[in-house]
This record gives sequence, C-alpha cells and structure tokens, in this order.
Amino acid sequence: MLLHTLNRSPATSRVYQQALAAMGPEDRLLLVEDAVQGALPKLMRYFTGLEGRLFALREDLVARGLEGQCDPSVQIVDVDGFVLLTEEAEKTVSWY
Amino acid sequence: MRYAILLLAAPYTNQASHSALRFARTLLARGHQLETVFFYQEGVQNAARLASPPQDEPHLVDAWSALSREHGTALQVCIAAALRRGLLDEREAARHGKQGYSVEPPFELTGLGQLIDIGLRCDRLITFAP
Repeated sequence: MLLHTLNRSPATSRVYQQALAAMGPEDRLLLVEDAVQGALPKLMRYFTGLEGRLFALREDLVARGLEGQCDPSVQIVDVDGFVLLTEEAEKTVSWY
Repeated sequence: MRYAILLLAAPYTNQASHSALRFARTLLARGHQLETVFFYQEGVQNAARLASPPQDEPHLVDAWSALSREHGTALQVCIAAALRRGLLDEREAARHGKQGYSVEPPFELTGLGQLIDIGLRCDRLITFAP
C-alpha cells in the first residue's frame, strides 16, 4: 500500500488526474496545502471511488478557514496522523 | 523508523518548506529518526546563510540548523543546484575566486548520488515540492 500526497487544488490543477491514475486499489490519498479544497463537498466529485482512502490535513484546512466544511467521507488527520500514514505505507509518492 | 526528507521548493515562495519543517518536527516528536534533509532544485535556497527574514516571520534557515544541532540530522545540499544559484560554502567560494560565502555548516554541499544513497538507506523518504 502506497500513500500519495497531493498539494494542488483539483479546481486549479489537473495533477490530481495523474495521482488517481497512478493509485493502486489499496493506496491512500492525502490532500495537503491547497489540495485540501478537494475535501469540500462541492469538489469531492474529483475523488469518487476513494471512500475510506481519502484524507485531508487538518492544519492546512484550518489555515484556509475550511475546517468543519469537509465532506463526511473524508478522514481528517493532523500532521501527527500524516506521519502515521507514512509509517503505515510502504512508500510515499508526492504529486505537485 | 529512519526518515529522510527531500525538499524541492524555495523558502518564502510557497508552503512547501514550512510543510517540510512541520513534518520533520512531528516525526521527531513521534520518536523517529530524521537522518537527512536533502535540498535540491530551488530547495537549495533554504541553505542561504545570509537569509534575514523579518523578525516576526519564521526563520527557515535557522530552523533547519537548529533541527540539525538538536537531532543530528544531516542537511545535504545538491552542489550542482547550489553553485548555479550562488550558494557556495567557504571552500567552493575560494575555488571559484569569490569573496564571501553563502552556505555554512551544518549545511553541507554534496552530490546528487547522496540522494540515491538516502533512498536506499532510509525506511521512508518523503518529498515536499512547490
């Protein structure tokens, strides 16, 4: 199982498409920095099929005033949880 | 676990350097080891000795140095990326006939081969990019 991180909003960059294309069936996706916008219900459509495997970084949501506005299917983790995700994954791939 | 961080982004132009530093501090707090931070591409700007941000802003260069002093983390800077951006340590400055130098320990100029070595040696390599 690999962890993929994405730091661009799906509303402004298409790199999320490459991340999704590269992901295996067990892989997880963590939205960080501007990509946390993707956790909003309006932008969730870009990440269908990732139920239970989609995460967003709390600190970056808070910095953008978006905490509490995420789709309930997205799991919110803090940086400690980010480190834990990298522990659990065999490798981490960054998309930017 | 033995971690390493690859940082590809310049400080103060986007969030990447801050994200990398935050991740570094957190993994250390969780009891992991941070063997190396490797600075490559625009990331080499994090090693600028003369960086003087306003006092009410985070000082990234000093923060990396403190991390290295406190936790023994190696701060490795790609020499090819650094030299072409004017980032020279004392030895390289002398070799190129330049007055003054812009990189000092604990940052060290090193070859890209080190990055391969880090990838093989460490349990986890996490990339932070612009």
